[in-house]
Amino acid sequence: MNLDFSQIVPYIPFMLEGIWATLKFVFFAIILGSILGTILALFKIGSIIPLRWFADAYTSIFRGTPLILQLMIIYYSTPQLTGYDISAFLSAILAFGLNSSAYISEIIRAGIQAVDKGQMEAAQALGVPYRAMMKDIILPQALKNILPALMNEFITLTKESAIVSTIGYLDLMRRAQVVGSDLFRNFEPLLFVGLIYWCMVMGLTMIGRVFERRLKQSD
Amino acid sequence: MINVQNLYKKFGTNEVLSDISTTISKGEVVSIIGPSGSGKSTFLRCLNLLEVPTSGSIDINGKNLTSSKKNIHKIRQQIGMVFQHFHLFPHLTVLENLTYAPMKAKGIKKAEAEMKARLLLERVGLSEKETAYPNSLSGGQKQRVAIARALAMEPELMLFDEPTSALDPEMVKEVLDVMKDLAKSGMTMVVVTHEMGFAREVADRVLFLDHGVLVEEGQPNEFFSHPKTERAKDFLDKVL
Repeated sequence: MNLDFSQIVPYIPFMLEGIWATLKFVFFAIILGSILGTILALFKIGSIIPLRWFADAYTSIFRGTPLILQLMIIYYSTPQLTGYDISAFLSAILAFGLNSSAYISEIIRAGIQAVDKGQMEAAQALGVPYRAMMKDIILPQALKNILPALMNEFITLTKESAIVSTIGYLDLMRRAQVVGSDLFRNFEPLLFVGLIYWCMVMGLTMIGRVFERRLKQSD
Repeated sequence: MINVQNLYKKFGTNEVLSDISTTISKGEVVSIIGPSGSGKSTFLRCLNLLEVPTSGSIDINGKNLTSSKKNIHKIRQQIGMVFQHFHLFPHLTVLENLTYAPMKAKGIKKAEAEMKARLLLERVGLSEKETAYPNSLSGGQKQRVAIARALAMEPELMLFDEPTSALDPEMVKEVLDVMKDLAKSGMTMVVVTHEMGFAREVADRVLFLDHGVLVEEGQPNEFFSHPKTERAKDFLDKVL
């Protein structure tokens, strides 16, 4: 064992910047994935058949192919097909957001279907319109049930974000590789960013717990 | 007020309601009784279109229910419904349960909705519970809140689907008392119930359903002491 962490000290600020780079696109990807996932879930439980087909096909494609492949297709084919020179940052948000929405839509669909049917009937019997019923009565209750599964998805997304290093986006992972090749020492920077990933996931877990506690106040 | 003509309801090939016709006038309290599986609840649920009839017509205040699916929200706002299992909104406080629908569906201002809600809670004897969540209430209290929630929409008609069947015996009375008060106030009520005492004492008319057929209807006194049909006699022998 000849680990020497003192060697990476000058590179620490460079690697720490990667936290921001990673969080920035993960944040937008989670927002995109959640909004799209909710819409897809509503398509899946709705009564409009073509929308249901669309949502099912969408899920099947984005769940059925590797994320890294989706990322590369978006990054490399967009300039070729449209002439628009898409940035690595935007490609990452799109790939992760679109991919995650497929999983999130399944989580939300299950959550909605697990809400007691009586809740919907009670809202209908009171003459509450569909949109308001979904927004105020059904989704809040579904959210409470699915929060652990949703947090799981967000944690996975945060960790898997490391594969954007393959398209040259300077995230945490990519920075560890850059430092590694600069020093001819890979192990130390990799361990260092490993610790950072773990801290980020712990932070996310904590936020999840706070949310869960807040939603439990009605019990 | 309610006019039901030749109502049929099928679930697949299973005929749950068969050729039911009856009228209910304003201020009348009607009890629907019958063995389980006789279609009582289905009939009640047809009256606010929670179940869509297979054929036949239902008019409420001259408006045809089955042909006006677009305005169904507006019609349902005039029909309160109380369920066997309460179906209170668990993530809202008692007061919010009462104010939610008037604010969302009728656009009533928050202050006004809360004022009316407090009066209703007082009426069902639960003023001190307005900030509680439904899960902290007893069954009887939940059902009284559910009744108040339905009344908050100021309906012209109240439907009760076995409102006391899920309650512990000692809590039945508090709910029935609220319903009796409501009946006295002149509310039109349709009550599916196993409480023969309530049907006898409070109802103006009793409908007896069996196998989806309206077998007999009449004044409670007459029906309970001199049932005309064999099936009603059988049923009453078993439950009384």
